[in-house]
Amino acid sequence: MKKNNALLLSTPYIVFMVIFTLIPLGVVAYYALTDPATGAFTLENVKNLGMYMPVLWQSILYSLVSAFICLLLGYPVAYFIAHQSATAQKILYMLVMLPMCMSFLLRTLAWVGLLQDTGIINDILETIGIGRLQLIRTPAAVVLGMVYNYLPYMILPLYSTIVKIDHRLIEAAEDLGCNSVQVFSKVVLPLSVPGILSGITMVFVPAVSTFYISQKLGGTDTVLIGDVIERQFKQGNNPNLGAALSLVLMLLVFVCTGIMNRFGADDEEGGVIA
Amino acid sequence: MKKANRILTVLMFIFLYIPMIVLVVASFNTGKDITNFEGFTLNRYVELFQDKHLLNLLRNSIIVSVLSTAIATTFGTVAAVGINGLSPKLRKTVMTLTNIPMTNPDIVTGVSLSLLFVFVGSRLLGQRDSLTFWTLLIAHITFNLPYVILNVMPKLKQMDSSLTDAAMDLGCTPLQAFFKVTLHEIMPGIVSGAIMAFTMSLDDFVISYFVSGLDFVTLPVEIYSYTKKPIQPKVYAMFTLLFGLIFVLMLTMNLLQIRSDRAKGARRAKVDSKTMRTVKRAVAGIAAACLLLGVGYLFVAPHAQEQITLNVYNWGQYIADGSDGSMEVIAEFERRYPNIKVNYSTYDSNEIMYSKLANGGITVDVIIPSDYMIARLIEEDMLLELDYDNIPNYQYIDESFRNTAYDPENKYSVPYTWGTVGILYNTKYVDEADVTGWELLWNVEYAGKILMFGNSRDAFGIAQYLLGYDVNTTDKAELQACAEKLAQQKPILQQYVMDEIFATMQNEEAWIAPYYAGDCLTMMEANENLAFYLPENQGFNLFIDAMCIPSCAKEKEAAETFINFLCDPEIAGANMDWISYSTPLSAAKEYMDPETVSDPISYPSDEILANGSSYAFLPEDISRYVESLFMEVRNG
Repeated sequence: MKKNNALLLSTPYIVFMVIFTLIPLGVVAYYALTDPATGAFTLENVKNLGMYMPVLWQSILYSLVSAFICLLLGYPVAYFIAHQSATAQKILYMLVMLPMCMSFLLRTLAWVGLLQDTGIINDILETIGIGRLQLIRTPAAVVLGMVYNYLPYMILPLYSTIVKIDHRLIEAAEDLGCNSVQVFSKVVLPLSVPGILSGITMVFVPAVSTFYISQKLGGTDTVLIGDVIERQFKQGNNPNLGAALSLVLMLLVFVCTGIMNRFGADDEEGGVIA
Repeated sequence: MKKANRILTVLMFIFLYIPMIVLVVASFNTGKDITNFEGFTLNRYVELFQDKHLLNLLRNSIIVSVLSTAIATTFGTVAAVGINGLSPKLRKTVMTLTNIPMTNPDIVTGVSLSLLFVFVGSRLLGQRDSLTFWTLLIAHITFNLPYVILNVMPKLKQMDSSLTDAAMDLGCTPLQAFFKVTLHEIMPGIVSGAIMAFTMSLDDFVISYFVSGLDFVTLPVEIYSYTKKPIQPKVYAMFTLLFGLIFVLMLTMNLLQIRSDRAKGARRAKVDSKTMRTVKRAVAGIAAACLLLGVGYLFVAPHAQEQITLNVYNWGQYIADGSDGSMEVIAEFERRYPNIKVNYSTYDSNEIMYSKLANGGITVDVIIPSDYMIARLIEEDMLLELDYDNIPNYQYIDESFRNTAYDPENKYSVPYTWGTVGILYNTKYVDEADVTGWELLWNVEYAGKILMFGNSRDAFGIAQYLLGYDVNTTDKAELQACAEKLAQQKPILQQYVMDEIFATMQNEEAWIAPYYAGDCLTMMEANENLAFYLPENQGFNLFIDAMCIPSCAKEKEAAETFINFLCDPEIAGANMDWISYSTPLSAAKEYMDPETVSDPISYPSDEILANGSSYAFLPEDISRYVESLFMEVRNG
C-alpha cells in the first residue's frame, strides 16, 4: 500500500486516540496541580500524597498476592485444558470465559451472601458443629474476591501459551533423558513465561485499582487506593486530590507493566488473549 | 500428576461457578434474602418484566454496546489497515498509543475521560450537561478500539501481501482488492475483536460509573447502587436470564465451530458447510438488525421527547415505590401529568449529591438535601428561587417549618420530611443496660457488630454530642478531637455504611447502628428484634430535608409541578406511610395510618425535641476541613 494511503487511513484514528487518551491524562495532571476551591496552581495535592502511601502499599501487596495465587491455581488448570482434545478445549475455554461476561458486581455480592457472619458458609459450619468464623471483612476475603474475579484473566493467556508449545520439544527432552519434572522445569515452564507474565499483568492491574471488591468484602481497615480515589471524586468533592492519586496509580501500573515487558521481551502487539 | 490436575480443574470450576449458582437459586426464592431459601417461586420473573425501569436500563446498555462495537469495529479495522502500512517506527508509536487504554486501570481511564468532558463541556463551552449519552458512547468507543486493533493487526501481518497484488494485477481497484481479498482474510480478527469489544462494553461498570451523568445510565452502573440497598430479587432473575442466554449463545457458537472444523478436516477443501454459511448469515443479520435498531432509536428518540424529562435526584429508599401495597408515587405523578417523564436517580448522602452537582456536567431538576446542605447550596449560589405560584400546596406546610434557619425567607426550599437521628439496635444481642447513649457505638463488647455513618457530617455530629461540643463548631481543635474520637472507634466497626444499613441490620449481620429515625422504623418493621433509642440527654440531630431546584436545572416549571404534587396532602400521606419519616404537613396525617401518626419515634414530644439540634451551615473551608479529616479517619 502507498504511504499516503496508510497515513490517510490511520490519521483519524491517531487524532481520536490523542484526544481521548492522551489529552485526558493531561487534564488529570492539570487537576492534580490545581487547588480544589480556587483553581490556582498548587503542589498541595502532591504533598498530600504521602499520607496515602500506606494505602498504596496495601493495594500493591493484596494484588500481588492475588496474582500469585491466581498463577498457582491457574497454571495447572491451563495446563490441563491445553492437553485435552480439541473439542474439550473449546468447551472448557468457553466455561472459563463465561463468568467474565456476567456482572462482576452481582457475582461479588454473591460472595457477601456466602461469607458474611449470617451467610451460607457460616450456616453450614454451624450445622456441622464447627461454629461461626470471621470470614468476611478480612484481608483474606478481599484477596479471595480478587482471585475469584480475575482468575480467568490468568488462565486464558496461560492456556494460549501452553497450547502453542511444540510437542516435539518435549519429546526431544524426554529422548535426551529428562524425567517429567525436568521436562517441566527445563522446557515447559520457560516456554510459558510470556503467558505467565501477561497473566500476572492482567490480574494485577484490575486488582490494584479495584474499589468494589474491597467495599463489599473488606472491613474498615482494608482500604485500597481505588476506594480512596472513588471517594475523593464521588463523596469528598476533591477531584484534584483524586486526580493526583490517579496519576500515582497510573505511574505505578506503567512501571510494573514496563518491568514485565522487559522480562518478557514482548513484541509491539502486547499480550492480549490470542 | 494428571489426576491432581484434573481434580484441581474441577475444583476451580466449582469455585468459579458457585457464586453464580447462588444468584440463580436466589432468583427462585420467595424470600428476599440471598442466604435464606424460603420457597420456590417464579414471581421474580414476572416482576422483572413488569419493571419498566430495569428493562429500560438493559436497553440502554445494549444500545451503548451495540453502537460502540459497530463504530469501533469499522473505525478500528480501517485504522488497522492504515497502521499496517506505516513505517515501523511510526507504527510502534501508534501501537504504544493504542496500548494506553489497555494497560491503564479502568478507574484512571474513567476519571480522565470524565474530567476531560466536564472540563471541556462545562468550563470551556459553558454547557450545563456535558455528561450525556454521547460522551458515554465516546468513552466506550475509546476503550473498545484497542481490542479491535489488537485483534486485526496480527491477521494483517499474517496475510500474504502478494494476494492483494494479484487481485490488483487482475484488474481490481485498491478498494475492490480490500473488500474482495483483505477483508476476507482478516475477518476472523475483526469478529473476535468485535465480540471482545461487545462483551467489555456490555459489562463495563468502572468507566461508565465515572463518565455517565444522570439522564443516561447503563445497567451495571445502576446495579452498583442496587447493591447498596436491599437488593430486589428481580435483579437476580435478570442475571439468571442473561446467564442462560449467554451460555446458550456461546455453546451454540462453539459447537457449530467444532462441527465446521471437523467438516473442514474431513474434506480438506476450504468449502464452508451449508449450515455454517446460514449461521454466518443469521449472525450478520442479527448484528445488522441490532445496529439498525440502535441507529433508529437515535433518530426516533428526539421525536419521542415532546415529553419533558424531569431529572429527580433523591436519597435511596426515600419515595414510596409501590412495594408492600404502597402507592407508586412517581408512576402516579406521570399518570396525572402525562407530558412529564420522571428520570429518577438516588444518592445516599448529602455529600455524594453535592459532589455530583459541584463536579458539574449534569442536569438535575429536583433535589432533596438536608438543612445544612441547603444552606451551603444557597451560599454557593447553586439553587434557584422557587416560584410559589406553581406550588399552591405550599399552604399546607406547617408554620413551624417555615422561615427556618437554613432558608430564612422561604425562597429556595419546600420541606419534604423531618426527623431525628438515633441508635438502632438488636434487642436479641444487645444488653438493654448498655443502651445508655452514643457511647454504645464505642462499646468494645460489640466489636465487629457496630456500623457507623459513612458521611462526614453525621459521623462528626455523633462525636460532637458525645464530647459535648457544639455540632456547628468551627473550632479546628474541637474538630480534630472529634476525628480522634472517630479514629478510636474505627477498629471496632464492622463497616461505614449509608444505604447498606438496611440489609445489614435486617439480616442481623450487624447489631448496632446510628441512623435516621424514619429508616429505623422501616427496618424495625422488617425485623421485630430491632429497637430505636434516642440519646435525649446527650443531644441528637433534628433534621429537615427539603425539596430544591438546583441551578443546573433545565425544567424549572415541571420541577415545581413535581414539588407541588409531593405537597398534596393525600400524596404526602401515602408517601410518608411507606418511607416512615415524619411529615411537615399536618394535613397529610389524616390520610396516614393512625398508628404511624401516634408513633413517638416519628413524632416525639416537644420536650424531647427541645434537646435536639440542627446542623447549620459551615463555612466552605471548615466543610472541606471536616471532609478531609473524615477521609483521613477512613483511610488511615
